[in-house]
Amino acid sequence: MRIVCPFCGERELGEFTYLGDAKPARPAAGASEDDVFDYVYLRDNIAGAMSEHWYHAGGCRAWLKVTRNTLTHEISSVEPAAGVGAAKVGA
Amino acid sequence: MAEFSWLSRSPLEHALVVGAHGARDVASGISLTEVRNFNLIQIMARRGKGAELASAATARFGVAAPAVPKAVSASDVTLIWSGPDQFLVLSKSGKHAMDILSHAFSQSASLSDQSHARALISVAGAKARTMLAKLSSIDLHPTAFPIGAAAATSIDHTSVNFWRGNDRPDGQPVFNVLVLASFAESLWRTMLDAAAEYGVDIGLSEELG
Repeated sequence: MRIVCPFCGERELGEFTYLGDAKPARPAAGASEDDVFDYVYLRDNIAGAMSEHWYHAGGCRAWLKVTRNTLTHEISSVEPAAGVGAAKVGA
Repeated sequence: MAEFSWLSRSPLEHALVVGAHGARDVASGISLTEVRNFNLIQIMARRGKGAELASAATARFGVAAPAVPKAVSASDVTLIWSGPDQFLVLSKSGKHAMDILSHAFSQSASLSDQSHARALISVAGAKARTMLAKLSSIDLHPTAFPIGAAAATSIDHTSVNFWRGNDRPDGQPVFNVLVLASFAESLWRTMLDAAAEYGVDIGLSEELG
């Protein structure tokens, strides 16, 4: 599998580290215990297109949001995670 | 109380032996040269200050800092892309040393002095691409990786900043590798092994290519 880093170009899998599901959003301060438990521990086991966080550890060290089909490994989009030098993408 | 004197030494001081290495029955196909005594500063834009850093860099160095994976050179400095909104400043003789640059970029960026934290290895020669192809997955074909191309990548599982310098006077390509000091000896030995069959000429330099 290869990932096309929006900053570096196409790179082999070995340069990347997998974090996991990019969907969970940190609950607001004062959220219920159930919401926090859900955020920290509960994950969907998706068969199909999934939004994931990957880290380009062996390259530019940017966090990326990758949409990957967990059945076929087909990657349909790669974009910088929020806050990562986003202004420079495509330059 | 004991008195200390701090000497900066190359991380390759023990591993590097100047001279010929590997195959002797062929003309040397690779030069491996360690470059010592340089100033290297990592500059990273503070959040939202990318544009401000870019204009400060142009004002300071007379060339625009690379916004894509490239290395650009002015008369006395090379700016090497290292990631979004960040680059390395490679120079000699203290003209772009930490204390000077930290004033120039105090408003827009965070700086970190890497002068003694990295080893700089230059790989050159007719077999340089063939040898690097054993260790790196980057496409080094001249059309894909021309002079001035750069990459933040991994070579033999070791993170490096990698860029192509100007060709040698004999027309052979030159690839520069900046590696973290503690990984330098390991990578150096791996490179020597990869290069041995082509005949290696090991050298030391104080000049930036």
